Order: sequence, then C-alpha cells, then structure tokens
Amino acid sequence: MSDFAPAGDPVIPDYGQASDCVINNGAFCTDWFLSQWSTVFWPPLVSHIVMVAIAVSIGFVIAFGAGLLAYRKKWLAGPIGMAATFLYTLPPLALFQLLVPFTGLSLLTVEIALVCFTLIIIFQAVLVGLSGVPDDVRRAATGMGLDRNQLLFKVELPLALPSIISGLRIATVLTVSIATIAAFVVDDGLGSPIIKAVSSPFNTQFVGAGALAVLLAFALDGLLVLLGRVLTPWTKARS
Amino acid sequence: MTQHSTGTSITFDRATKTYPGAAVPALDALDLEVEAGELVCLVGPSGGGKTTALQLVNRLVDLTSGDIRIGDRSITDQSAIALRRTIGYAIQQSGLFPHYTVADNIATVPVVLGWDKARIRTRTAELLELVGLSPVETWLPRYPAQLSGGQQQRVGIARALAADPPVMLMDEPFGALDPITRVAVQDEFLAIHRAVGKTTLFVTHDIDEAIKMADRIAILKPGGKLAQFDTPANVLSDPADDFVAEFLGAERGLKRLALTTVGEIVTAGTTGAKAATTDGARPSTTGWPDVEATMTLREALSVVSAARADGAIVHSDGSRLGEVSLHDLIAPPAAGEDREGVRA
Repeated sequence: MSDFAPAGDPVIPDYGQASDCVINNGAFCTDWFLSQWSTVFWPPLVSHIVMVAIAVSIGFVIAFGAGLLAYRKKWLAGPIGMAATFLYTLPPLALFQLLVPFTGLSLLTVEIALVCFTLIIIFQAVLVGLSGVPDDVRRAATGMGLDRNQLLFKVELPLALPSIISGLRIATVLTVSIATIAAFVVDDGLGSPIIKAVSSPFNTQFVGAGALAVLLAFALDGLLVLLGRVLTPWTKARS
Repeated sequence: MTQHSTGTSITFDRATKTYPGAAVPALDALDLEVEAGELVCLVGPSGGGKTTALQLVNRLVDLTSGDIRIGDRSITDQSAIALRRTIGYAIQQSGLFPHYTVADNIATVPVVLGWDKARIRTRTAELLELVGLSPVETWLPRYPAQLSGGQQQRVGIARALAADPPVMLMDEPFGALDPITRVAVQDEFLAIHRAVGKTTLFVTHDIDEAIKMADRIAILKPGGKLAQFDTPANVLSDPADDFVAEFLGAERGLKRLALTTVGEIVTAGTTGAKAATTDGARPSTTGWPDVEATMTLREALSVVSAARADGAIVHSDGSRLGEVSLHDLIAPPAAGEDREGVRA
C-alpha cells in the first residue's frame, strides 16, 4: 500500500476523492493522514516501538552488566568504555553496510546496530550512578554489617537509579531517532514511510511519520520520567 | 548506672596497623582497655591513627598484628559481617541512607538480622523517643533530606543503637554540626549513654568535646602511639608529656574548669561564700550576676568577668541555691573529682 510513489514529480495518490490539500501537496493534510492512519502510519509506528524496545532492553542488559563489572573491577572501566565509545562513533549507515554481509537485510542487523549505540550511554550512566554513592553512606552500610550483595541491592543500585534512568532516557530518545534509518535495511519502522515519501515527495507522509517519531520520543521519555519518579520517591522529598 | 552492665569491654592488645606502602605504622602497638559501659574518647592530631583504631574494631580495617577483644572474644573469631552486626556504628554526616525513610534507616540492621515486623516497629518507635524525635509518627516517614543536621545525627545514633549492640563506635559523629546544635546533641547523647550504658569508643578531633563527653580520654600522637590514657581531670591537671600539654593548649587551666558545674561546688558546701554566710559575715553580693546551677565553672567565670563582679549568685529551677566568689570559680577544690566519684 505504501509503495505507491515512484520518483519524479509529486504524485498524488489517487484514493478516490482527493482534497485540495492533497492535490496541492500541502505541508500536512489532516484528512489524508487520518484516512491513511491504519495502513501508512500505524503499522510502522508499532514496529518502530518494538524495534526501540528490543534495542534498549538488550542494550540495557549488556551495559548494566558491563557497568557493574567495571564498578567492581575498576581497571575494566577504561577498556569497556573505550570499546563502547568506539561503537558509538560508527556512522549508523556504515555499520549497517558492515553487518549486512553477515546478518543480511534483517531485523537482526538493525538491532545489532541500534544496541551498539545505546551501550556507552547506559554503561556510563550505571558507572557514574554507582560511583556517585556518597562514601559515608557506603562506609556506614559496610560498618553496620551489610554484605556485598546487600550493599549493592539495598544501597548502591537504588542510589544509582536517578543516573541510570537519565541514561535510559537519552538512549531511548536516541534510538527512536536512529531507528528511522533502519528502513535502509528492512521495510519496518517509521523510517519506511519517510524514505518512500522523500523520494516521492509527498509532504504529508514524511511530515506525518517524522512527527510521529518525534512524538514517540517525547512519549517514551515522559514514561521513563514517570518511572523514575515512582522508583525514586526520596528525590522529590523536601522538608 | 546499673545498666552499664549491658555493655562489654573492648581490649586493644598491642593492636598495630601498617597500611600497605607506608613506612611507619598508622597505629603502633596500642594497648587500651575500655571498660564495660565506659565512654572513651580517642583524640589526637590527624595522622594519630584515631580513626584507624576505631575501624580496626569493626574490621573496616584489618589488623597488621596484635589483637582486639570485645568481652573475651577476639574480633577475628567470627566473620567481619557478623561482627559488625553486633556493633553500633555512627559516623560524621550521619551516613544515613538518603533513599530510606527514617523508619527504614533505623531498621537496617534489624532487617538484615531477620527480626519480625512488629518487633522492628516497636523498637524503631522506642529509639526515636529515646533520641528525642517525637511524636514518632511525624518522623518515621521522612527522608533524611527532610531533616536538619542535628535531627539526622539523632537518627544516626538511633540507627546505631537499633539492634541493641553492647558496643558503640562513633567516628566524629558531631563533627559537621554547627556549635549550638552540637552542644544540644552532645548533651542528648550523654543522657542516652548514661541511660543505656553502651561501651562507647568515640573519635573526635575536638578536645573540648572529649573533655565534655569522656569518662577517659586516649590521646594518640603522630606515628599512632598512645600518649596518655586517663580521666579528663587527670589529663588536664597532669599531662603526660609536652605533646599532650601542647595538644591541650594554653587554655588547659580553663578547660579544667569546664569539668565542674557551679551547682556541684555550691551543694558540696565547699564555697567560701556559703561558709561566710553561715558565719553571718555575709560579703556584699551587690551587682553579682545570676548563673544557673547547671553552668560550668568556666561559663560562670565568663559571666562574672563580663559583669566585672567578684562572684555570682547561683540559681536552680528559679530558686536561689547560694553564691560563688571569684576565688571559688578559679580555684575550685579538686575540679572533676566529684564526677569521677559518680563514674566509679
């Protein structure tokens, strides 16, 4: 349905009664957007959310583990940080090119690349959060007889939460944005209607899909802010 | 005082700590016995090893040689974790967990010890009352950020007392408080100490705090050597060496006056003014300022000096207790002896 637009002059999709806005290729035609919602916009939005959720979840698990490891074994922090930074600096398109020979034009290729970009952000957030636990708090906890795991789960991780959540927020917003480029590899996500509309060029389609990506980023960011408030009630406490 | 039996002695037996890479020990063969129920202050300049000495007891720092015993049991007889759960620990800045409410902070050790909820609730309320934070319902759900420095320190003390440990370690617990709050918290802690009788090892860099709080003071000098271990009165009147004399400072004589209250010398009947009254030859007390019986001789002397008088009139709970002359204040009969009698 969405591959209606060959390159060249604006091609007005003929879905029966076209409005003036659609005929003149206006910046954004609400009627067309709404009528095409269920076919052009909704499926890519869902696949986009799934793509982002998978990437951030896997990235979180890996980076969280790496962060804990680097916190316990300080000498690992440098090498892990450098490796993750290297992955972050790769241009996404180049990374896709690099991966396609091995993993093909698949969701796997996309996810590997997306995960790579989340790692350094979440890793740093975990490490900074854990290292930011005040010394006197750690000393008091140890001095009272908390063992290593109790110290980690009762004291260090909760106190690192604000930093971890803010890392997750940045990683999520970034992934929502980068995931639009996934359309170069798979016909999935909000990048797909954007790329097709760019070559057409029919404004409402890429403006609509682009706006959805922005709104999605805001929405997920907002959800994480809420999650943070629920998980860290003490940060809001004032006398 | 009978409750002092709930405490347990702490014995340092040639306890030595040399940190890796250090040429000289941080603590050098310390022999020290803190009796059950006693409050001993460790004082000294930085580098004297006083915090090291404290942290050796709960094994935050490991002994290089020698031994430390709590009661008659060596601290190495059990795991460090198990040992620490039997020792109350309070530190500067309170070390409260910012993400725990007051109730959860106090319950930290009882929770890891597996107490049931009802017992923890009862104990928490009891401790908040003890440290003067009542009604407890208003304090339990608060976070440390919602408390003043003095209140945080009180909660820190309550937390250290939570599992009723026989021994308390306090590392400059009041060091970060403003002077007025510090005096209030010191007084409260002394009252609590007298009530619960925990054997307490208390590190401070503030000699005045040590003089006020301690049954005995251990003065450590650089190199981690014990310079003197004695009662505040004896340390002040008879410093063991030049280092101790210098550490106590030029106001050593005045500090000694802080060991006795005017109330004590008036009721002991050793004041010249009172003796004169019974003879009927009452000296003129015109212009003498009023002082409270709870004031130390040092404070009363300050009041008398400010009023340019020859003495002061002592009041207690609004009634006149007697008079003290300038001479009584500056040359009290055996300052501190009275307090020693109470302790023994």
